[in-house]
Amino acid sequence: MKLEGTHELEATRERVYQSLVNPEVLQRCIPGCERLERTGDNTFAATIRAGVGSIKGVFEGNVQLEDLREPEHFRMVVNGKGAPGFLKGSGDLELLQEGAITKVKYAGDVQVGGTIASVGQRMIQGTAKMMAAQFFTCLGAEAKAAPGEPPPKQGFFRNALRWFSGWIKSIFRK
Amino acid sequence: MIPVPFDYQAPATLDEAVSLLAADPDGAKVLAGGHSLIPAMKLRLAQPQMLVDIARIKSLSYIREEGNQILIGATTTHYQLESSDLLKQICPLLPACAKSIGDVQVRNKGTIGGSIAHSDPAGDWPAAVLALNADLVLVGPGGERVVKAADFFVDLLTTDLQPGEILREIRIEKPSGRFGQAYQKVPHPASGFAVVGIAVQIALNDDGSCKAAQIGVTGVGPKAYRAQATEAALAGSSLDEQIVSSAATHVCDGVDPNADLYASAEYRCHLAQVHARRGIQAAKASVK
Repeated sequence: MKLEGTHELEATRERVYQSLVNPEVLQRCIPGCERLERTGDNTFAATIRAGVGSIKGVFEGNVQLEDLREPEHFRMVVNGKGAPGFLKGSGDLELLQEGAITKVKYAGDVQVGGTIASVGQRMIQGTAKMMAAQFFTCLGAEAKAAPGEPPPKQGFFRNALRWFSGWIKSIFRK
Repeated sequence: MIPVPFDYQAPATLDEAVSLLAADPDGAKVLAGGHSLIPAMKLRLAQPQMLVDIARIKSLSYIREEGNQILIGATTTHYQLESSDLLKQICPLLPACAKSIGDVQVRNKGTIGGSIAHSDPAGDWPAAVLALNADLVLVGPGGERVVKAADFFVDLLTTDLQPGEILREIRIEKPSGRFGQAYQKVPHPASGFAVVGIAVQIALNDDGSCKAAQIGVTGVGPKAYRAQATEAALAGSSLDEQIVSSAATHVCDGVDPNADLYASAEYRCHLAQVHARRGIQAAKASVK
């Protein structure tokens, strides 16, 4: 399955890039991320409780960052498995600065298998898009906060979702 | 295909159900017809700690006409809606939509409230309640609140229903004057879910021109939505063939269509356009 999209963040490219490779920020921003540890120079291990509505599953996986060209590009290779199925894939992230805004373009290919793929196939792409929107909204807030400033409070997902969906729509209208 | 262990409660009243749910808003889950929740539990994709079965609360299952409103209880089954003589007369879109759902067994157990609260992106009822501009009555520990259908569906499988709340009733303004309705659907051959589903209600002026059009679309995006661009193109028009065809092409405007093994995004949008046109024509033809 192909996944691609563009998100605009109100921060400089350098700050967005730093946030994207900072395990602490990632742990706060990846929806349902319960654990994210650095296991090597550019490798991380993660536990993610992913899902929407009443459908949920826990995934264990690792993430590897490759082809790092700060602050404009890196490639991400993801491998994960859990009770509901497995996923593996890779994608490229490009950061483009446009004035005060940084555009993050991502494009990747993900394979999903197991129970979740056989019964949830029609919803996988929607779930991925929704999680990406949550992730980049959170990342935008993190990157916007000045260095040393406490990051914005998390745990407002439910209320923020309505706003997210409006925001997603506004992106797709472009 | 065996769920993880869970507790089960079958309260006799809605108040009891609300307090059971309030005791554990995150671990407890409301069970109505169980046609989405139980399969997900058997596959262990959903693992609630407790089920609060509201299907046995008799006072939640009804179809009533009250003043200029139609009131439908949340646990009214698809079959009850499909076979309601009252609805066939005053709001035929509802029986038409019910009839298109799954198979006899599903319609006999599945409920309108369960389908709306689950907000499956291919569920049929969300399109119908959007097209009918329904009010949804939610009850929680803090009392009742009423949400417009257009504000209720938030995202994929996500609604405005807060933990601890139960959808109690669907309220629809009784269509009046010269109106037409239709539900036009392409069912998935295996599941019967809507690959695309278009619910249409049009109101006509005395001269036959279109006063207003309300179109609910399911199956296309991550949640059901109103096709506002199509509605705007129809309002005030003569509803002739050319206008209907061109209005229908706007049915996926602003939406990023779903893609899966059965239908790509382009194909799905194309289907939606074709069936929006047919749905509008069918609604127009049904005007008495």
